[in-house]
Amino acid sequence: MKDLLRIKSLISTEIESLLNQQIKKEAYSSSIYLSMASWCNRNGYDFSSDYFFKQAEEERTHQLKFFKYVLDMGGNSVSPEVTGIKQEYNSFREVFEEALDQEISVTNSIKNIYARCMKEQDFVTMEFLNWFLKEQREEEYKARRALELFEVIGEEGTGRWQIDKHVGEIKYNSEA
Amino acid sequence: MITTLTQTTPWTDVFKTTKGAVYQCDEERCWYVDFAGKVAKFDYRCLLKLRKSVYHIDIEHALLNTTKDPDVEIIFICACDHCYVLTLLQIIALKELLEGTFVMLELNHILNESLVISQ
Ligand SMILES: [Fe+2]
Ligand SMILES: [Fe+2]
Repeated sequence: MKDLLRIKSLISTEIESLLNQQIKKEAYSSSIYLSMASWCNRNGYDFSSDYFFKQAEEERTHQLKFFKYVLDMGGNSVSPEVTGIKQEYNSFREVFEEALDQEISVTNSIKNIYARCMKEQDFVTMEFLNWFLKEQREEEYKARRALELFEVIGEEGTGRWQIDKHVGEIKYNSEA
Repeated sequence: MITTLTQTTPWTDVFKTTKGAVYQCDEERCWYVDFAGKVAKFDYRCLLKLRKSVYHIDIEHALLNTTKDPDVEIIFICACDHCYVLTLLQIIALKELLEGTFVMLELNHILNESLVISQ
């Protein structure tokens, strides 16, 4: 009997559904960042607002990368419904704390898909995910760096103004 | 389109229960589901859609539901030619049939993979 499942799709249904969950997660990240950009803009943190606008766009490209991969492998990509986006934050600092939380949860979920791929010996998807693992290194680095600014500069006086200015300069350039 | 198909190509048994059976046709790259008095042809996408809609039905909820609605579910699969109108017991039977079918297809997949590796 022919292996018709394999002929139609390179990835298993389990991997396909995990990747669809990830598509939703990236879409959620994008929306969260957009709401952070809005909050920062409304509260006078222009550099941070720009920073989050860029992040929102990046998350959108991540979402599309997963989306196209699933289709290319013969699977079904599901356009996700994104709800429950927080619109208000209690403080400038809280925005960055939640940005880091979000990135950590994304890293964990990618690791989880990777673990499943190892179990199934799905080397093709593992190779695809490598790009994202590297990307998460950068994402977490930037989010942590931003939070460190609160420690190093301090929020007193013109502290927040300074922090905002430096957020715009955060870069990750590791060749490793 | 409800068709009672006559077999013109060789079919392989995938899974059988007392209530129904699923056959695979390698030549046409599809499956034939013999259930609820008809034999229906499903391609890969449609079979997955059928599985999804059957697994989606909350059987427990339907059992505990005490309203006077008839215990009948309509399974309509988008972009497929088939539609099932089933009672709760039939749904349970169809679910069992599909679960067994996918276990067998998975098993077939594993066997095929290990054949490739050992070659
Ligand atoms: Fe992302
Ligand atoms: Fe990210």
